[in-house]
Amino acid sequence: MDSRKIIPITTLVILLFFPLIQFFPSVFGDQNYVIHLMLYAFYYMVMTSSWNIIGGYGGFISVGHNAFLCIGAYIAGYYSIMWGVSPFYLILLAGIGAGIFGFFVGLITLRVKGPSFIISSIALIMILRIIFDRWELVGGASGITLPYNSLSVEFSKFPHYYGFLALAIITIYMNWYVRHSKFGLALRAISHDEIRSAVAGINVKYIKVTAFVLSTFFIGCAGAIWADYLTYVRPNIFLIILIAANVVLMVILGGMGTVTGPIVGTIIFIAFNELILSYLGATELNLLFTGLLLVITLLYFPNGIVGTLKNKGKLPRFLDWG
Amino acid sequence: MFIIQTIILGLCLGFVYALMATGLTLIFGVMRIVNLAHPIFILVGAFAAYYLFVIFGMDPIFAIPLCAATTAILGAITYKLVFEKDAGSQTYSEMTVLLTFGTAMVLDGTLSYLFKNTQRITSPPYATDAIFIGDIFLPTAQLYSGLISIALIVGLGLFLKFSKLGIAIRATSLSRVNAELVGIDVKFVCIFSFVLGCALAGAAGSLVSFVFSFFPAKHWEWIAILMSLVVLGGMGSILGVVISAAILSVMASLVGAFIAPAWSTMVFFVALFVMLLVKPHGMFGKYLE
Repeated sequence: MDSRKIIPITTLVILLFFPLIQFFPSVFGDQNYVIHLMLYAFYYMVMTSSWNIIGGYGGFISVGHNAFLCIGAYIAGYYSIMWGVSPFYLILLAGIGAGIFGFFVGLITLRVKGPSFIISSIALIMILRIIFDRWELVGGASGITLPYNSLSVEFSKFPHYYGFLALAIITIYMNWYVRHSKFGLALRAISHDEIRSAVAGINVKYIKVTAFVLSTFFIGCAGAIWADYLTYVRPNIFLIILIAANVVLMVILGGMGTVTGPIVGTIIFIAFNELILSYLGATELNLLFTGLLLVITLLYFPNGIVGTLKNKGKLPRFLDWG
Repeated sequence: MFIIQTIILGLCLGFVYALMATGLTLIFGVMRIVNLAHPIFILVGAFAAYYLFVIFGMDPIFAIPLCAATTAILGAITYKLVFEKDAGSQTYSEMTVLLTFGTAMVLDGTLSYLFKNTQRITSPPYATDAIFIGDIFLPTAQLYSGLISIALIVGLGLFLKFSKLGIAIRATSLSRVNAELVGIDVKFVCIFSFVLGCALAGAAGSLVSFVFSFFPAKHWEWIAILMSLVVLGGMGSILGVVISAAILSVMASLVGAFIAPAWSTMVFFVALFVMLLVKPHGMFGKYLE
């Protein structure tokens, strides 16, 4: 077996069995908060890895990707109430809904590159915020409330843990696949020069929009599980710029356009965030430090951790997946 | 009569929006920086005006130079710390968007930590007054702020048109390399126009402080509004920004009057999307990469 596969596979096995410690509270104590943190990390890994498809390889930096998270969450929330089923059965539906929405948004906004694209992604959040705040069908500003699941407290996070873990694995695999496929090659060519790629025979529009839809699909799926986890869907929870800012920051911190960068960035950022929360509490200072970290990373490590290490040739082999 | 009334109110607000966006478009034109921190500079100006009014009883209109100075100093510091480092790099334009995004978050966090997210508004005596011309009434706050905005924009236009430094700024925004060739100190022009843009933000903030109620997190909403004006006006054209601000805010106030006030800001965002769909490079702009 390839030696670089050993560490990822071992980690995966540990992660698969980790929640089982909840069955032995006398030995390990109640680790619900640790499980929460881990599923939170998986949730952000889904978002960062799928953001990386369009933002990292394609070079289209979107700071409005939580719009698709919101669409997925609303689809799952609305239909789970209407049909009386758990949002878990609606993950695919939520993903497809977000993907279709992403298709139309992508057709419009992917026409422009650089600053204009970033601005349009901010405007997208603002538009959805206005619409969802006033759309009575989905509860307006107070949103949709979902029922709790019937599991007892110690095990109530299990479905979300495994759901996000599975989704994160699929998304990371997709990220790796795109990086090593012809499709990803075309995408990276587009990020350097659209006109030259078109001359070289790449169907620029098709590739761009497909990548965008792919990235919005997984975010929509994550939205469905996250809606069930929070048990409510509300515009002011999903449609805030901080979520998108966190995603962008995590990817840049880890390394844009790499397979392992988003994972590393997510873990480091969430650890950092926990430190701030435990020492300073949940104040506005959180926003300040997030911004500060973003500025410092961009100024001094624009390639991120994985990218910088790779350029120096010091990247550990188990992180080197392209 | 009701329509004329709405249009006039919309125009007054439109000129304030135009002043808010002028600094932004100036900075973009000269330096290719999309300054997402611009709205938070406006808020800093508004907070300066608020505390000058509350503590010293200073009229926000007379406080404009002080507010402009505050944001100009802040802008100079930001420029030194953040933007000077890699002005020559390939992906400068995209990098700076994220840099200014981070700067905006830092300033937003600081302001909300210091002043908390409560609604504030300065209330000079004319803020609640109105002038009647026939059946049309004009709230003096909006009238004054609109007029001062026009005056400041015209002043800026004259400065850019006739002064030597203004010509240097326009030359730099046309072509950086050629400006350098004819002996313009491009580096100084960049710093100067960034600081000038920030000073305009401060001046706008002082006017905003008695027109809108404001709180630190409000700038995210303004970012999208101002950016839609800049994109619509063609990234870097001051005249374009003024025209698009006037048109859009009249439309917004018509929507507010005839449909529902809550939907009025939607006009700006929808206009941005329609613009991207039809003419991605703006109504009055030249083709820019």
